[in-house]
Amino acid sequence: MLGRVTQQTVQASSLRNLQSNLSRMAALQAQMSSGTKLSLPSDDPSATSDVMRLNASSRQLDQFSRNASDGTSWLTTIDTALSSTTTALQRARDLTVQGGNGAYGTTSRQALATEIAGIRDDLLKQANTTFLGRTVFAGTSNTGAAYTVGTDASGNPTYTFNGVATSSVQRQVGTDTQVRVDSDGSAVFGNGSSSVFATLDGIAATLNAGGDPTSQLADLDKHLNAVTNEAASVGSRQRVLDASTADLTSASQTVKTQTSGLQDIDLAAVIMQLKSQEVAYQGALGATGRVLQPTLMDFLK
Amino acid sequence: MASTFSGLGTALSSLIAQRQALTVAGQNIANANTPGYTRQRVDLASVPGAQVPSMFATSDGVGMGTQVTGISRLSDQFLDTQLRSHTGTASFLAARADAYTTLETSLGEPSTTGLSSQLSTFWAGWHDVANSPDDTAARTVLLDDARQVTETLHARYGDLQTQWQQARSTTGTLVDQTNTLASNVADLNKRILDITNSGGSANELADQRDQLVTQLSGLVGATARQRPDGQLDVMVGGNMLVSGDHVRQLAVSGPAAFSGATGDPSAVPPVVAAAVRVVWADAPTQDAALSGGRVAGLLTVLAPPDASGTGGMLTEAAASLDTVAQALADGVNALHRQGQTVAQATAGSTAPGGTDFFAISGGSAAAGISVALSTPDQIAVAAPGSGPLDGSVGQKIAALADSSSGPGAVWAAAVAQVGSMSASASSRSGVAEQARASAETAQQSGASVDTDEETVSMLAFQRAYQGAARVITAMDEMLDTLINRTGTVGR
Repeated sequence: MLGRVTQQTVQASSLRNLQSNLSRMAALQAQMSSGTKLSLPSDDPSATSDVMRLNASSRQLDQFSRNASDGTSWLTTIDTALSSTTTALQRARDLTVQGGNGAYGTTSRQALATEIAGIRDDLLKQANTTFLGRTVFAGTSNTGAAYTVGTDASGNPTYTFNGVATSSVQRQVGTDTQVRVDSDGSAVFGNGSSSVFATLDGIAATLNAGGDPTSQLADLDKHLNAVTNEAASVGSRQRVLDASTADLTSASQTVKTQTSGLQDIDLAAVIMQLKSQEVAYQGALGATGRVLQPTLMDFLK
Repeated sequence: MASTFSGLGTALSSLIAQRQALTVAGQNIANANTPGYTRQRVDLASVPGAQVPSMFATSDGVGMGTQVTGISRLSDQFLDTQLRSHTGTASFLAARADAYTTLETSLGEPSTTGLSSQLSTFWAGWHDVANSPDDTAARTVLLDDARQVTETLHARYGDLQTQWQQARSTTGTLVDQTNTLASNVADLNKRILDITNSGGSANELADQRDQLVTQLSGLVGATARQRPDGQLDVMVGGNMLVSGDHVRQLAVSGPAAFSGATGDPSAVPPVVAAAVRVVWADAPTQDAALSGGRVAGLLTVLAPPDASGTGGMLTEAAASLDTVAQALADGVNALHRQGQTVAQATAGSTAPGGTDFFAISGGSAAAGISVALSTPDQIAVAAPGSGPLDGSVGQKIAALADSSSGPGAVWAAAVAQVGSMSASASSRSGVAEQARASAETAQQSGASVDTDEETVSMLAFQRAYQGAARVITAMDEMLDTLINRTGTVGR
């Protein structure tokens, strides 16, 4: 077909070859300088959509990790409160048993009652423990305290639980995993007249009156049991959070590796390609410079 | 017997012819780099001896020298036709590939700042609010994130609108250019006919005309047909654009605004999506049915969306953005309406009290989406009856990030779709450009000037000229002998 070759066709094709060489080199240089293979969706459409999905899931995993560490703080706060509560309740139990001792006189029993009242105040403080301004034993309440102390018509203190027993504070630590990070105060400390505070008040009143409070030990033991049970539950939830955190860390690593594999360049390979492209370009330049020089005129004298 | 002096005439005819041939070689060399110039060659023919010179005269049968019968233009109509058809296809595909590249650049993906990463941040914001419903800072951040998402949707939609408007006005300009070029072709047809009728050579005008027709092929996929009288008829979509010196003008019809191409059911009266078309100016209902060229490529860029998602690239991208915005608003609003604000829950209400989080106004969801809440405390993440600081509704909204029909998934699919269309448009355009370049090389290899070849011709003509001059000298000496030396015997 191309029987005839003229200076113009040689010029045009040399120019085209130089152009395509240069554009291949520009593409490689763009990859080198940006460090990514995917600067436009058309560079690799399916990898683009994968990278977008992976970026979204990486962001989500970060958020789950944040949720988990926030949840850990909640559970740690509760755990501390519960262990103080257990110690205090055991002390109260000891005092109650002492109060049953017939050798104790009225004065001694009143002293015991005073100490028990102190323990009740301490327990109230534990029950109203807050984390970042939120009560951990009434997680969804915004009243500032899990228990409000009031007085009834006859001047006796009343204890009102402010939380909603059926609701809970959850932390999402996986697409389908939620962990409860608060504690139901009404289950741990009881509510109203059946609360641990009311029980302690009752024991104190018995002691003040010089009576034997040991009959109320059963009530106290029930509360102690509730606290221990909750402590166990908090421990197991903490374990779930720890396991989730570990999972999230490794999942996050996997996602980062996958993303990098899809979009990051293989530096060594690109440098090699760029070098060989440079050689090809220089060759094309040299050939172009040589081919366009001589004409027949140079040889006619 | 021929005349004694007839040899002088023969040599003279050679002198004249070789000089003319040398002039043509000079013209070729002068135009070696002129774009569109087609090399020319002098057609030489020998003049036969007179068969019946005159009564009583006899011919010796020797020819009477040489003569220039014409100056031919060495173009190949078939190669020209091939070049034009490839130019039409390549321009069509290049227009589409360019538009796709612009489109995918404006999508801003994949990146850490694009719509998809803003959506991720938005979903994460719901987790933060659900974790700390009492934290005004988290709520403010969430509202800001939401506003950023809506602004990005507006900006992406605006980009599409701008690109559409630019393509629309480019189409108008190119059609005007087509009309001008067609008029020029008609004008050249007339002048070429006049010159050839008066026996002249119109090769340079034909060069100009061929260039114009190739430009027309690139614009509107025009094809050309040579008439026996040397005029060129140009056709578009099977109809005459230029017929001799008569021109039919093209015009652009159809919507002039993006909303006319996407359709706007909310307008009064509703706007139905319509296509931008190129029609004949003298018959505005008759579609020009362009089959190639840049204008035809732009018309596919401007096309309205269709039911199968294969309509115009810009309107389809706008439809995808609308789907993203609608899915975002519908998904978030439906759950948000189930929630309660802190104030509502504190007041003890057990009925869902949340309002719409996003509002959509106007015909396009992407252009008309906005955050409906004005203050952070209006964000309702508490489930009714679960306490004021409950965050379970917020967690449900955050879980929309994983929805397979959610805005993130729709957007990723749309980006991948544009990417793969763009990749295939680019590679098709590259192949077509290769074909066009090789057709151009073939056409150029026949038509372009080879200076070496012209040098050889110059040598040949120069030598022939020298030879003819030598013939005259020889004749002259012969005649000198006859006239001046005869009859001097014995002097």
